[in-house]
Amino acid sequence: MANRRLLVKRLKAVRNIRKITRTMELIATSRFKKAMDRAAEAAEYTRKISEIVGDLGRANLKFSHPLLQKRAEEKKSVLLILTSNRGLCGGYNAGVLRQALAHFRGLKEKGIECSLEVSGKRGIKFLNFQKVSLAHSYTHFEDQPKFSEVEVLASRYVEDFVAGRIDRLDVAYTQFVSSSKQFAVVESILPIASLGGGTAVKSESSVDYEFLPSAEEILAEIVPAAFRAKLFKCFLDAAVSEQIARMVAMKGATENADEMAGTLKQQYNRARQAGITSELAEIIGGAAALE
Amino acid sequence: MAELSLVLVTPERTLFDKSVASIRVPLFDGSAGFYPGRAPLVGRLGIGELRLVDASGATESYFIDGGFVQVKGTVVSVLTNAATAVSEISRKSAAVKLEEAKAAKAKSDDEFAVVARRLEKARKMLSLAGKE
Repeated sequence: MANRRLLVKRLKAVRNIRKITRTMELIATSRFKKAMDRAAEAAEYTRKISEIVGDLGRANLKFSHPLLQKRAEEKKSVLLILTSNRGLCGGYNAGVLRQALAHFRGLKEKGIECSLEVSGKRGIKFLNFQKVSLAHSYTHFEDQPKFSEVEVLASRYVEDFVAGRIDRLDVAYTQFVSSSKQFAVVESILPIASLGGGTAVKSESSVDYEFLPSAEEILAEIVPAAFRAKLFKCFLDAAVSEQIARMVAMKGATENADEMAGTLKQQYNRARQAGITSELAEIIGGAAALE
Repeated sequence: MAELSLVLVTPERTLFDKSVASIRVPLFDGSAGFYPGRAPLVGRLGIGELRLVDASGATESYFIDGGFVQVKGTVVSVLTNAATAVSEISRKSAAVKLEEAKAAKAKSDDEFAVVARRLEKARKMLSLAGKE
């Protein structure tokens, strides 16, 4: 029966796809673990930076740095969008791009000039389709972004900001809260609102530090360092979230394939049984006609 | 006996977290050494060699690229953009980097500062690689 052959073919195809999605799930799981370890190691640096910032705060120092100053009038801004290079990761890219576009339009309405910078092929394709022009696009950030690569971007932003070429910098990315909770956000990271991620590390006893060369100069160095660490954290968060999104999407796909294979197998068995029954009926009918 | 431990962190990972006998770091204006019992300090680092002597007397060297050092109690934290074990630096690649830095032309004051920094980094790297 033609129907039966068709069912066998479909069943085979579904099983093959299941194998692929299952493998992709496993790959995403191992990559997620690696990315997660990297993010955990990077957190140490951020923690230390905020510790030193906290120490500086106790040295009766006025925090003033060009990167900390909010501009009275915002004219030019940059929106950096972090998407993935690869697809098959559920709503990961769509979520980020939705947030980013809403933010972009909001800025336009306020009359703020906004240039877009996008990392990841998916975001670039989408925005090209929407006919939005991009100032910069990057495709070299994979699942393990390197600090030296992010630093190049960070230095450029710092330079532009200090020189007054940009008044604010926002990053649209997927924030990683826990392994079961990530969401797309647009975060403003320049001017820096708070140093050290908002939570100042409080030590029990205040230590009297000797500052070399001076507390002011340490501050002048540490503010850009804190910014670079923050930007790097955005990239790491995005990388971890991407792997989680892919893992979840592929798990769903594998389960769907299992279900589909079950239904197809049932349909095939019914069709086979129907075939046998009708053949039997024909034989019996034929024998009865001969009597 | 007073103890001293060194934590060497870069934005990517923690390279070193062990107790040591003494440490020498490149500060912005020259070398500084720490022994156990050092008074608290926060300092800006330059480019150069971080050398440590561990409890058994063996020395280890890292090439570090700027950052900060914090001494607090018995812990010395070194935060740097990039750190490489000196044994991993090859003389050849350092020489190539120096040539590249020399070839770079600066057109403005900002660019000049960048090129000067690259030159300094390459020279120090080469001089360190030569020792091994």
